[in-house]
Amino acid sequence: MQIFRRVLVVLLFLTLLPLTQQVSAATPDPTEQLKPVVDKVVSLLKDAEFRKKPVVEQSDVIVKIVAERFDFREMSKRVMGKQWRTLNPEQKDQFVALFTKLLQYVYINQVDGYLDKKIEFTDQRIRRDRAEVKTLLVGADKRIPVSYIMLLEKDNWMAYDIVVEGVSLIRNYMEQISTVLRDEKFPGLIKMLENKITKLEAGEKEE
Amino acid sequence: MRRIFHAVLVSLCLLGNCSLLYAADGEVDFLDDAFYEEAPEENAVRDPFEGINRVVFTFNDYAFIWVLNPLANGYSKLLPSDIRGAIANVFYNLQEPMRFINSLLQVRFSDAGTLLTRFTVNTIGGVGGLGDPASELGFEKTEATFCQTLDNWGVPDGIFLMVPVMGPTTLRDISGRVVDRFSLSPIYYNWAAGWEESVGIYMGKEVNNLSLHLGEYEAMKKMSFDPYIAVRDGFYQLRRQRWQNSMSSSDAVVEPLE
Repeated sequence: MQIFRRVLVVLLFLTLLPLTQQVSAATPDPTEQLKPVVDKVVSLLKDAEFRKKPVVEQSDVIVKIVAERFDFREMSKRVMGKQWRTLNPEQKDQFVALFTKLLQYVYINQVDGYLDKKIEFTDQRIRRDRAEVKTLLVGADKRIPVSYIMLLEKDNWMAYDIVVEGVSLIRNYMEQISTVLRDEKFPGLIKMLENKITKLEAGEKEE
Repeated sequence: MRRIFHAVLVSLCLLGNCSLLYAADGEVDFLDDAFYEEAPEENAVRDPFEGINRVVFTFNDYAFIWVLNPLANGYSKLLPSDIRGAIANVFYNLQEPMRFINSLLQVRFSDAGTLLTRFTVNTIGGVGGLGDPASELGFEKTEATFCQTLDNWGVPDGIFLMVPVMGPTTLRDISGRVVDRFSLSPIYYNWAAGWEESVGIYMGKEVNNLSLHLGEYEAMKKMSFDPYIAVRDGFYQLRRQRWQNSMSSSDAVVEPLE
């Protein structure tokens, strides 16, 4: 009986193997999917008219474009690490909403420094359902490597991390969050996120 | 001398009985979920002096905003970026012999060859290191510090430290830096008449480097809700990445002693 089961497993595996290869042959190209979204955002942010709008409005437009290629829920899940499972559904939603907002403002703020730079898509690598799309921010006197780490969800590559000069954004937030959770638990974290977002919304400079 | 060295090594081992969470031995692959799953609180960075470190961090923050940054800002307006780049090159070139020795200590012979060639080519062809013609010839920059040598020999990282002005480091790394600094003294600090000038040279180097990276620290601070932790993690991540890059180009990697 056991041998029969083993043979069955092997047979099943053999029949599925060509299937998986077929799937991978038909996978869409991550760079091709990501590039239009990034280009769109950059051209919007270079538009002087658009930049005159309040930050909150800018962010609403941008999040709609970006959500096409960025999986904010996956980001929030990863950034929480093991703590994710201890949260109840409402807490999860609350955290996802706040963290998404934080990332948007951070992104808009960061882009200011990128406006004089050109984005080059240099390389990509795919392993099963994961991909890394490598880009280079080319400025007057420096070049900053920025990688997008993506996950294949059905036919869509969705980014869940950005790696700037080898530093993973999600990993960096993960460390911060775990410290806050250790000291101040979940309510403290929510309060901290809200404070940071209000500051960024006001567009005020710290200190 | 040897005994002192041993004593330092042993004390480092004792103090630094810690996890090698971010050390160069574990290769980072962002496509691998393991990178995200190592829970920070489990094999956390050893930071028993977090309280003091945070105070130093606040001090550094003020020093940066009120002293270093304005200095570097003014300096960057004074000199065009290519000249600042050339100055950075000179400092970098002066440290090349130390990198050469460290690459030998780490049994990275082909890197040692590259480093020796770089130093010769850049000193002669690059007029004392102002330019970097060696890179154009295909001898790329590679990092080899005494911190890496210690890591290679199995010395654990020890505790995390926030040092005034210098910034984030670990007990092992600061020891490594001190050794690198002293091994440079014959060529480097003999120029200086006394410690005041040494400090002057050091600050000059730091301000020059900072002028090439203006705005990066503010950007980082702006996006994090706990900048201290962000800087600490950024330090470990950057170092791991840098070492990984320099190690992957080497021909022999010595297994760290367990």
